[in-house]
Amino acid sequence: MNSSLIMLEISVIGLGLVLMLADLFVPAERRRFIGYAAIVALGVLLVTSLSGNGSCGQFDTAFGGMFVNDALSLFFKQLFIVAAILVLFMAAEFSDKLAEGSVAEYYSLILFALAGMLFAASSNDFTMLFVSIELITITFYVLVSFQRGKIQSLEAGVKYLILGALSSAFMVFGIALIWGTTGELNFTRLAAVAPQFADSQIFLLGVLLVLVGLGFKIAAFPFQIWAPDVYQGAPTPTTAFLAIGSKAAGFVLLLRVLFTAVPGVTAHWANLLIVISAITILYGNLCAIPQRNLKRLLGYSSIAHAGYLLLGVAALSASGQSALMYYLAGYVFTVMAAFFVITLVMRHLATEDISGLAGLNQRSPLLAATLTLAMVSLAGIPPLAGFFGKFLLLKAVIEAAQTSHNHGYYCLAFTALAGVIISLYYYFGVIRAIYWSKSPEDVSPIVLSSPAKFSIGACLAGMLWIGVFPNTVLNLTNLAAAALGK
Amino acid sequence: MNVGLHHYLFVSFMLFSLGLLGVILRRNLLVIYMSLELMLNSANLALVSFSRFNNKLDGQVLVFFIITVAAAEVAVGLALIVALYRKRQSAHVEDLTSMKL
Repeated sequence: MNSSLIMLEISVIGLGLVLMLADLFVPAERRRFIGYAAIVALGVLLVTSLSGNGSCGQFDTAFGGMFVNDALSLFFKQLFIVAAILVLFMAAEFSDKLAEGSVAEYYSLILFALAGMLFAASSNDFTMLFVSIELITITFYVLVSFQRGKIQSLEAGVKYLILGALSSAFMVFGIALIWGTTGELNFTRLAAVAPQFADSQIFLLGVLLVLVGLGFKIAAFPFQIWAPDVYQGAPTPTTAFLAIGSKAAGFVLLLRVLFTAVPGVTAHWANLLIVISAITILYGNLCAIPQRNLKRLLGYSSIAHAGYLLLGVAALSASGQSALMYYLAGYVFTVMAAFFVITLVMRHLATEDISGLAGLNQRSPLLAATLTLAMVSLAGIPPLAGFFGKFLLLKAVIEAAQTSHNHGYYCLAFTALAGVIISLYYYFGVIRAIYWSKSPEDVSPIVLSSPAKFSIGACLAGMLWIGVFPNTVLNLTNLAAAALGK
Repeated sequence: MNVGLHHYLFVSFMLFSLGLLGVILRRNLLVIYMSLELMLNSANLALVSFSRFNNKLDGQVLVFFIITVAAAEVAVGLALIVALYRKRQSAHVEDLTSMKL
């Protein structure tokens, strides 16, 4: 037993509790500044985890193999902390749209969701998988419906609640069937006994049901129904955290289940993964075309991106997994930049329609440039992060086609390319609204606070750095993918 | 008649299917929520019976986690449904239509 490994998670939960207590002593008009204290504390945790002295730098297992720290968990934990820091910045800007004085609760809920994600990154056991995914999901029920005075927010919360509970019921039943047939909950030990059960229908049904639960988290077809409504109705910082944190947590658990726990089954299911990935890409991109609400559009775009990320899973190779993680790293900064601009521009407007972006070029050139670069990166145009990520994912799929002689992979690569071309249409629709829309009514300049400028600068720097100098991140992702293959 | 593992699993599958049907067919949010709890508890029944017949305790430990998590989920979920009811004066899924294309 080595419980010092979970120091990072304990610190994050402790920080969340401290923020809740601070809520009692800080007057309501100053509560948004509590967020900056939380950002500093998370920054310290991030630096200690990077330096290798922190708990997640020690590669070991704890609690009877339930909890594992390796290169994979280290990579995802850093990604989650960066995402949470950016979301906290966004929440501080958003605080005047939340109920009076409730922003400190919002901050601490973000930290509890972060703790769930950190546990998810390290889980090596179905019990840990279930508990960490539920910690994330239940916190998100509250985060999504946090604007309780707004009917859309409540509706989004209820929809997320019903479909989230449904998917966790499927997952629990799947875990029961897997455990019932094999007698193992631990991924590493399950991998040793799973080959004997490769023909057992009940075992395969169990694995399928667990994949249903994880498919819901990443919003892959056919479990994507919730995404557009929830993305539209939720407060914008929640939407951003949902698009990054919740999706990345789903992917790290998917990688662990598919490649650590049941690698033998996964090898037979390549065609299933190919089909799901292709349909998800097409569905997300085609449905995004007619959307007018910017957050709903990004909801469909996030479904499409779940499909692109699944390319890396379907390739069934270390290079595919590494490309997936690289793509996620670029996706964090891109999506955060987009949602940051939405938060700043739309907070004084009643609608979140694309037409609200009219004249943004004159109101704030920095925000206009940021949103443009984010859209260009999401569409996958060089030299930004999105381009190189898509290139690596497609490369991994083509390699898989050459080694396995499965022609489905060529069809998948073709579908992904078609998806990229379709997506250009609606991403450029957003850019057109910024620069070329007629007669903007409101041309008052948007004043940015210095933390907002700083975080937008960080998003831009991240997007460009990951796109132009991919080697640093690629080294990390290659190490992480190697840890998964062991 | 001897009651074996298969009987328990059959009941568990039946409960799961009933819960799923309830979620799909019923229109009241509270009834849908009850059906979801039924699905979770059918998994609990399966875990406990596997645990009993395989003489392993891990499953029963997992059941405790599931019950705890389900309780937390119910607390948050009912609060949400009540908040929605106060806003809308209705707990029917047909009324959840404020967001459409």
